[in-house]
Amino acid sequence: MAHPCGRKLYQDFHAFDLPGATRVLEWIGDKGVFVAGYEKLKKNEILHLTLPPRLSVNENQGLFPERDFKVCHGGFSDRSIFDLKHVPDTRLLVTSGLPGCYLQVWQIAEDSDVIEAVRTIAVHEKEGSLWPRIAIFSSVAPGVLHGARLSGLEVVDLESQKVTYTSGVSDREELSSLQVLDADTFAFCCTSGRLGLVDTRQKWAPAENASPSPGAGGGRWCAEVRGQGPGPSIASLCSDGLLCLRDPRDLRRPVRSVRCPVSTPSPDPELLRVTWAPGLDSCLAISGFDGTVQVYDVTSRDGMEGHVEPLFTHRGHVFLDDHGTGAAPLVTTHTWHPHKSRTLLSAASDTSVHVWDWVDLRASR
Amino acid sequence: MLDCGMHMGFNDDRRFPDFSYITRNGRLTDFLDCVIISHFHLDHCGALPYFSEMVGYDGPIYMTHPTQAICPILLEDYRKIAVDKKGEANFFTSQMIKDCMKKVVAVRLHQTVQVDEELQIKAYYAGHVLGAAMFQIKVGSESVVYTGDYNMTPDRHLGAAWIDKCRPNLLITESTYATTIRDSKRCRERDFLKKVHETVERGGKVLIPVFALGRAQELCILLETFWERMNLKAPIYFSTGLTEKANHYYKLFITWTNQKIRKTFVQRNMFEFKHIKAFDRAFADNPGPMVVFATPGMLHAGQSLQIFRKWAGNEKNMVIMPGYCVQGTVGHKILSGQRKLEMEGRQVLEIRMQVEYMSFSAHADAKGIMQLVGQAEPESVLLVHGEAKKMPAPQNFRLVSSEQALKELGLAEHQLRFTCRVHLHDSRKEQETAMRVYSHLKSLLKDHCVQHLPDGSVTVESILIQAAAHSEDPGTKVLLVSWTYQDEELGSYLTSLLKKGLPPAPSGGS
Repeated sequence: MAHPCGRKLYQDFHAFDLPGATRVLEWIGDKGVFVAGYEKLKKNEILHLTLPPRLSVNENQGLFPERDFKVCHGGFSDRSIFDLKHVPDTRLLVTSGLPGCYLQVWQIAEDSDVIEAVRTIAVHEKEGSLWPRIAIFSSVAPGVLHGARLSGLEVVDLESQKVTYTSGVSDREELSSLQVLDADTFAFCCTSGRLGLVDTRQKWAPAENASPSPGAGGGRWCAEVRGQGPGPSIASLCSDGLLCLRDPRDLRRPVRSVRCPVSTPSPDPELLRVTWAPGLDSCLAISGFDGTVQVYDVTSRDGMEGHVEPLFTHRGHVFLDDHGTGAAPLVTTHTWHPHKSRTLLSAASDTSVHVWDWVDLRASR
Repeated sequence: MLDCGMHMGFNDDRRFPDFSYITRNGRLTDFLDCVIISHFHLDHCGALPYFSEMVGYDGPIYMTHPTQAICPILLEDYRKIAVDKKGEANFFTSQMIKDCMKKVVAVRLHQTVQVDEELQIKAYYAGHVLGAAMFQIKVGSESVVYTGDYNMTPDRHLGAAWIDKCRPNLLITESTYATTIRDSKRCRERDFLKKVHETVERGGKVLIPVFALGRAQELCILLETFWERMNLKAPIYFSTGLTEKANHYYKLFITWTNQKIRKTFVQRNMFEFKHIKAFDRAFADNPGPMVVFATPGMLHAGQSLQIFRKWAGNEKNMVIMPGYCVQGTVGHKILSGQRKLEMEGRQVLEIRMQVEYMSFSAHADAKGIMQLVGQAEPESVLLVHGEAKKMPAPQNFRLVSSEQALKELGLAEHQLRFTCRVHLHDSRKEQETAMRVYSHLKSLLKDHCVQHLPDGSVTVESILIQAAAHSEDPGTKVLLVSWTYQDEELGSYLTSLLKKGLPPAPSGGS
């Protein structure tokens, strides 16, 4: 796709159409992804797709005829799937969805291409419309961290199914994301914007930011902690477009707060997502406000004080919307390629999945 | 019989199906009520003249009007290359093609055709290529739908396949892309145009091997539109003779194209191109950039191969293969990365031109197949022409392997075997020839299990070799080498080994 001025926007761009829209894009290695349907009242597919081989090579792309995703494994779920995590170094998957407040454990068969449901993990708090967030402690004995509220947070050993950790608090704040940081710590973000870093070896005493005053904005928050790299590593995003960057050593004071030029309010704040680029210093991507994905450089000083302009906006899901009438597509999730520093995958409510490698226009200036 | 195609990768007996599977001695029409041809691609109709004129089938043959008009052209093209250029024997003649087509009964879309008192057939639009149809076959209250090749998304010149809720007992569907989620056509096209444009901009020549009719029209419309929009000047050529023919057929069968073409046709003929001209072989030597569409599609012979040889040495040039190439063809070799090709006369061709692959073939993908299943609502689905064996069964279907299905239906499973004939000079008895073969293979193939059976035949693993006398020449023996589909590699290796001949027998008795 070319910019009207003739500058190339994308190094590479592929558009696909899944059988059903997904809210999940979970990597397995660097050549496979899982997607899963979230439709109500019908069977949803979980698919393990291998990336087009073409995307794995830099040169001689022409000789690799395959520019399509191949279905490697597939399975069916009776309910909607809102989150899926692969347990590293195993053939197991854990999914969370509705209806019913429990987690489903799946196994990718070795001698066939079926993904089979093997068992469930009970969740004690019965919630009507809340589904537990999940994160995986991967170790010799992998555990699933899950919870819909702070009070329900626990870690279950996958093998023995025993609970190895509970938050032990009665605080019923609703969770929006969970992230495992290392063998003993995890981060949580509540819908209210409350952030915490928890050490599972201790009784509940997370390092936290200040609780936002009640009635402040009323927006819904999500967050992500960056693995490595310089600068503030915790990014939290609000449905009103506010992006805050924090240093884990002092969560109470944001290092920077900026407003992103997004269309608000988001039609579905639950879809909000902020992700750090694993291969680029200081870059992150956000989505969930509309049919676009925006990439920002958090160190950039362009724009007015308190405001920031995106480095790049992916508009493919809007432009290529072939579905005519009906609601404009909404990006349901996005993820960065583990190795190719500027390649992302994004999925939208119209079943489209895009793989795109954007051009950093600053380099050409 | 659903379709009657040939295999492009073989130049011997294996190119045509082994019709003795129907019956060895009986009349074919005792076992077959009719033959249905879904569309004009050679892997679906290429064996038809062989079947009707050489094997002797004389029952009815059904196909759509465009298929009837276009089949003979492709068959004749194919025959010319096989016989005139390659000197193959045991092939049908031009007259046989004509005689075969005289037996064809053309059908219209959605027209119920009574084949006999019990059997009815009906054709549905399949997209894919001009005239392609899916067929419903009905006897009483039971029916089968066979899709041939189809496409559920419309393209620039054809509409999408469509069927009503006919609820057949069985839907036989092609599953070429059943486990694939295809990149959007727009991205594909954009990439294709980018490659063509870049090559032409740097003064290079682009060769696009195509089959006469089919995807070629799609690509022509695509390039014409692009050339017009970008105001490009480099010439585009299309193999002589075929442009006119294609034009003629698309005009004749305009109702088979899509709505857009029909609408614009009133103003101008979409297939009368401004920027695309007829090709003359002398143009290949012209300096400067150009794009040429030449036949045949897999670079296995003819004009496209000629042009390829001329342009291969220059790295500014590019060849774009727009579809699947069968093993054994030059197209397949260069797509596998081969950069030195041995041509006839032991000449080695060095390939410096860029080789690209861009699949524009119009087949339904996973989503498309499920859409068709949703439209027709069959009781059972049989997946053919692909690798979709192990997909989990959707919704209300139960997935069974072919072995299991045959068992449940009480049908005997049969093994398909290919048989090749190798002629050897040997005036001794068959049993002695077989013995020589055994000794030879035993000494060469130390890693394989080579056995000499009591009935005189030789086996290498599960491959069977039998020696037979030649019907006319006592000095020649015929070795019949047969193997199953799974043993193709070893089977073809053995055949080529035996074709080299046997070492002289030791003197004296053995």
